[in-house]
Amino acid sequence: MSSHDLLPIHTGTVIEEDSLTLEQLCHACGVHAEWVISLVEESIIEPQGDEIQVWRFSGASLVRVRSALRLQRDLGVNLAGIALALDLMEELENLRAELKKMQHG
Amino acid sequence: MEYKDYYKIMGLSRSATQDEIKRAYRKLARKYHPDVSKEKDAEAKFKELGEAYEVLQDPEKRAAYDRLGANWKAGEDFRPPPKWDEGFEFKGGGFTGGGGGVFSDFFEQLFGQGGFRTSEQGTRGFQARGQDAHAKIYIDLEDSIRGATRNITLSAPEMDARGHVQVKQRSLNIKIPKGIKPGQHIRLSGQGDPGSGGGKAGDLLLEIAFNPHPLYRISDADIYLDLPVTPWEAALGATVKVPTPDGKVDLKIPPNSRQGSKLRLKGRGLPAKTPGDFLVVLQIALPPANTDRAKAVYQKMQQELNFNPRQPLGV
Repeated sequence: MSSHDLLPIHTGTVIEEDSLTLEQLCHACGVHAEWVISLVEESIIEPQGDEIQVWRFSGASLVRVRSALRLQRDLGVNLAGIALALDLMEELENLRAELKKMQHG
Repeated sequence: MEYKDYYKIMGLSRSATQDEIKRAYRKLARKYHPDVSKEKDAEAKFKELGEAYEVLQDPEKRAAYDRLGANWKAGEDFRPPPKWDEGFEFKGGGFTGGGGGVFSDFFEQLFGQGGFRTSEQGTRGFQARGQDAHAKIYIDLEDSIRGATRNITLSAPEMDARGHVQVKQRSLNIKIPKGIKPGQHIRLSGQGDPGSGGGKAGDLLLEIAFNPHPLYRISDADIYLDLPVTPWEAALGATVKVPTPDGKVDLKIPPNSRQGSKLRLKGRGLPAKTPGDFLVVLQIALPPANTDRAKAVYQKMQQELNFNPRQPLGV
């Protein structure tokens, strides 16, 4: 029996698509709601729902907000630059995945 | 403790102006930023850079650092000279880039104590919920297909009562829910940063990534397999055994299948309410012409088949 077996097992909940409220997203990333709203206005992240009160964000938005935060904090990139950088990074990631697929065969 | 040459890290001379320091930081930060860079040690380099910038961008800290003298070499065993910081007035202008990053022992020794570090964690008079913590974990495809329990080790910087930052490691056993997809998050309530003033602890958010698998590729909830087939299996059709994470299955290859054709096994991808599919990508393997009999077969094909694959090229 390893020491791991003695630890309790934690069961979490999966963050399903479009399930995070604005408040949850802000708290998860440690940012102000105004900043997240400005990301939505720049269409860096796109919530489901028309009104702020019913906005729901995906787990992917969570990753994007955190990347956006780092780009702003570490590199001083502005919102338009963040939008461009994130889109290009995503495209690069997809191309790398494609490339891996081709090399795999 | 090793001496750190902050100027060398930033590729600057000791006479660099504050503007040059800022420009060098921006340039190197772009190069080594973990979100952007694919260099192997990018994260370590970025941290080192952040530390160097933390000191050099602040005229007070830079002056104190410069006072140590230029004769130290990077990596050299270092003890700060007694009273090295005498006479400096440290306003403790707050930390810029680090954002809770962990700096080296060298940095901590020089700037981590006394007047320099303004503790952000100071006793707050109000109740606040702890921050949510984040981590990325790598699981195997099989963990998602069957569900699993995994032990993970997380390291996070923590500040002790005297304001020193230390990396604390902790171990957690977590349940991997069946059908979890790459890029999804698991929320563990109350496993984030502790709250202050009796506030609730934050949550721990785990981003799921998959280890590369020797056979399968994952795309969203679909699983892909490259399946080698013989030219006659592809041409004439056949039933062949195919490995899937759930065990072997028989797959019918239709006649006249082509290189790269995709065959779909519905619902045999990652489990979910609407499960993903299992996609088999045919890879036609040519038998080597390394015996007289094999050569004879190829020669027969050459004579019997009127086949020019370069017709679309006009030759």
